[in-house]
Amino acid sequence: MAEGFDIDHLAKLARLNLTAAEKVLYSLQLNQILGHFQALAKADLPATIDLARVVSESALRSDEPGPVLGAETVTRLAPASRDGQISVPRVVDDEA
Amino acid sequence: MSSSPSDWEVVIGLEVHVQLHTRAKVFASSPWGFGKEPNEQVDPVVLGLPGTLPVVNREAVEKSILFGLVVGSSVPEQCAWDRKNYFYPDNPKNYQLTQKDFPVVVGGQVEIELPGVSRNVMGEHKFIRIHHAHLEEDVGKLSHAGSGSLVDYNRAGVPLLEIVTEPDLRSAAEAEAFLRSLVALLTQAGVADCDMEKGQLRCDCNVSIRRRGAEKLGTRTETKNLNSISSVRDTVIYETARQIRELEAGRTITQETRGWNAELSRGYILRDKEDAHDYRYFPDPDLPTLRISRETVARLQKLVPENLYDRQRRYVEKLGLPFTAASVLVANRELAEWFEAAAAVHPANPQGIANWVTNDLLRDLAASGTAGALLTDEVLPAVSLASCPIKPVQLAGLVKLTDDGVISKQQAKEVFAEMFKTGQEAVAIVDAKGLRQNSDTGELEKIVQEVIADAAVAKSIAEYRAGNEKAINALKGPIMKRTQGKANPILIDQLLRKFLG
Amino acid sequence: MDEPLHTLSAAELGRRLAAGPLTSRALCEALIVRYHAVNKKVGAFTHLDEGDVLAQADASDVRRKAGQGRGPLEGVPVAIKDNIAVKGQPLTCSSKMLASLVSPYDAHVTERLRAAGAILYGRLNMDEFAMGSSTENSAIQKTFNPWDLACIPGGSSGGSAAALAAGLVPLALGSDTGGSIRQPASHCGVVGLKPTYGLISRFGLVAFASSLDQIGPMARCLEDCELLLGALASADARDMTCFSPSDRALTPAGDAKKLRIGIPKGFLGKGVGAEVATAVTAAIEFYRSQGCAISEVELPSADLAVPTYYVVATAEASSNLGRYDGVRYGHRSASAGTPVEMMTNSRSEGFGAEVKRRILLGTFVLSAGYADAYYMRALRARSKIRAEYLAALATVDVLLTPTVPTPAFKVGEKASDPLQLYLEDIFTIPANLAGLPAISVPCGKSGHLPVGFHLVGAPLSEAKLLAAGRLFEAAHGFAHQQAAL
Repeated sequence: MAEGFDIDHLAKLARLNLTAAEKVLYSLQLNQILGHFQALAKADLPATIDLARVVSESALRSDEPGPVLGAETVTRLAPASRDGQISVPRVVDDEA
Repeated sequence: MSSSPSDWEVVIGLEVHVQLHTRAKVFASSPWGFGKEPNEQVDPVVLGLPGTLPVVNREAVEKSILFGLVVGSSVPEQCAWDRKNYFYPDNPKNYQLTQKDFPVVVGGQVEIELPGVSRNVMGEHKFIRIHHAHLEEDVGKLSHAGSGSLVDYNRAGVPLLEIVTEPDLRSAAEAEAFLRSLVALLTQAGVADCDMEKGQLRCDCNVSIRRRGAEKLGTRTETKNLNSISSVRDTVIYETARQIRELEAGRTITQETRGWNAELSRGYILRDKEDAHDYRYFPDPDLPTLRISRETVARLQKLVPENLYDRQRRYVEKLGLPFTAASVLVANRELAEWFEAAAAVHPANPQGIANWVTNDLLRDLAASGTAGALLTDEVLPAVSLASCPIKPVQLAGLVKLTDDGVISKQQAKEVFAEMFKTGQEAVAIVDAKGLRQNSDTGELEKIVQEVIADAAVAKSIAEYRAGNEKAINALKGPIMKRTQGKANPILIDQLLRKFLG
Repeated sequence: MDEPLHTLSAAELGRRLAAGPLTSRALCEALIVRYHAVNKKVGAFTHLDEGDVLAQADASDVRRKAGQGRGPLEGVPVAIKDNIAVKGQPLTCSSKMLASLVSPYDAHVTERLRAAGAILYGRLNMDEFAMGSSTENSAIQKTFNPWDLACIPGGSSGGSAAALAAGLVPLALGSDTGGSIRQPASHCGVVGLKPTYGLISRFGLVAFASSLDQIGPMARCLEDCELLLGALASADARDMTCFSPSDRALTPAGDAKKLRIGIPKGFLGKGVGAEVATAVTAAIEFYRSQGCAISEVELPSADLAVPTYYVVATAEASSNLGRYDGVRYGHRSASAGTPVEMMTNSRSEGFGAEVKRRILLGTFVLSAGYADAYYMRALRARSKIRAEYLAALATVDVLLTPTVPTPAFKVGEKASDPLQLYLEDIFTIPANLAGLPAISVPCGKSGHLPVGFHLVGAPLSEAKLLAAGRLFEAAHGFAHQQAAL
């Protein structure tokens, strides 16, 4: 079950840079941990997942607008901002 | 040697993202709306601050269910939300709350009407199946400034209903007709405003082609983020031509995600399948599965307005309206209801009322700037007739006065203009202006006889008696003059024929 | 009035404050003195705004004088784990990522404490983003076990447990995803309760694994634990997983001497230290002597709990921690040419090794091609474990095990072996997977290090767990224990 592990792909998906040493260490540890999951692979499990939490519509919120933080607070929290907006390096036209 | 474009069939599926008409955001209580300063409509939940949690807005759910009922879907017993994980600066949590496995709307269909051969001839009708629609959150907005980009999260968390069609559309015209129908359904049910200028409706467009008669679908491309109906139409035309060109040159179509440059009318590649995202969907642990009660469904069912094409058929078949008038009326629910209110007061002449509404009323509303969009050819935003100075009952009164011969058609125009200006009842205007036609036979008989005795008209009388029907009209002017225009023209005609007969 | 204030229980302090002449200011000043004397050694607090504390104390004293006291917690300090939001206070989660974050809002529990008149007393150290069992994963500082400063206090609520055991504060909030309240409570000789999932609002608790996380009370005695639980538990429309007012009533405690106690088969075997086994066995015998019915119960899927937990928890964590990207708040890398680089560098600089390890694992178990084999299977296993626990708890009132297999280990001893550390939570994890209430109660020592036993009950059976604990505590005098520092 622990096959097909690609640390570079995972790091990219998770937006993490890993040094060569970290790649080796994490690969080793993840493989160890995944090996521990063999029990899950072998277990006889129910086919369905019981939905522990089902709520009725009474749990929904009414459509009443509430308070906002304000642009000043939003930009104060942000590491960098300009004209009430949060600034980031230039985004090229792609969906990331 | 190339085959003709008609050898190919285009297959189109649309994913339409519609901002639902709510006051607060879909998972947060922050308000939203157009034209606010950046980041002024953001609360801790919208910003994805650590520790914050989403709570579903009931109105957003009910608007979604209402849409399902409008398109005749079966409302599921339960719906649930999933997380779609991807990193992007406009995505505050770097996951989007959406519905993957248990959407709020499943199935349904939208009737469309293709353009007829001319404006007054109805075009072909078709049904386009809805695969499902799911309720999710919008993302923020990026703008570019010099070497950097700026993020405004006002739009983040706005309720979005993503409506996904089956690949049932076969031409740019059908795609266009579908969107027009969809917008009419959404606005008429009050589900959404669909103001494309404000980005309230955006579309992803899947296009593939295949040899006519082939069953197997071709490889499709997806063009993302089209924000007008014309962009969808142009994309379909462009993408169809491009794919035909590729296949006829012996190349293959790559499954890819594309963008559309509306200024250049040109598509471009965003990414190919190799770069496809791994969104790592999983059930959102913060939002429990929602049970949708049948009581709610029954309550919402009552809010479903008559389908616009059912209404159009009724107008044509039951009320005898010409197609042109019917199609103008049904395109806007408020207008149609306004018309029906008037027709209910004066049921004898719906055509007459429809004429007044589609010609005079719309023209004057447009001129006064209260409902300009009603007349434009772009898809109709929800136009308000609330400020219309004329009430349905008043127009019905005017039409009835005309039908009863109390005033002439010419006088009716004058009364309508006054009514639009002052909002007065037709009767009041007629009386105030002294327009009421004189139907007192005794007095009129005297005047008619006096005019006939006048030597000035002897020549016309002689001509009439000699068989020139039209010559009788020369006598009507002097009679009208003596009655100061108040005489009923029909009565004058009758009396003249009687005395000259 | 001879005992130093820092040795008294919260309930006793509340009574003395109500009776006078003790004031909240005097109490807080005494605790601040204690803080200066002891915190450096223990490292429990990461932040204490003394001016703010004294201002709150003064406000409390004014209220009380005016006859507007808000109840038994009026003027009593409660320390808060640094992953629970208090407006205007740091919310670091002991991570470099959030080192600069000051919360602009209050958690629901914070609002509850304010409404109860409690003093919000400082921020407590923890494993970074609550990931760990030793508090060694804090990016801010180490915390040491007050009973042996060479040992870990447990984790991730290590700061909370150590603060109590060191007499730094009478009450503390912790959070528990797989044992993070109960395991450090056991290691530090204090009481820690993880409530039924949904009893306490998570609004304002920084998410680690949303379907497992619960805030819970920690204290030096059961009375205090119950007092704090009562203040925290209330409905909150901002957390859809929190019970509504109509379905949150606790099952009455009943007579603790008539409890039916189940001992899961084999739980006292594998990997349980001899002295831990001895202490827990003695506790079982105590209950038997009181008239409780003791029986053995089968939990056949117990072995699946740890792997199931690590799939579910890391999957949710990988998504929950996606928001830390340097864009809106928190650490932003100085070197970044593109948004992708900025996010990647910020995350790589801001997160510690254990957090990265779990994000990678969680990303993997959700990734295309693997989600069915790992994540979906884990959800199915979770259903099975939950069903087995509920079935067992239909025949007995509580399940009794050790809280942790072995006592606190030396700082650094297991730092390089994540898998070994994950087994610390082997007894505590199932309660989180099944959403059940569970408590750790001190029951003895292994050498000089405390040992606790663990009770799990049916949903909303907190009162039974507390009553069972009280019965034991009354007979054994472990209440109010503090390490000599």
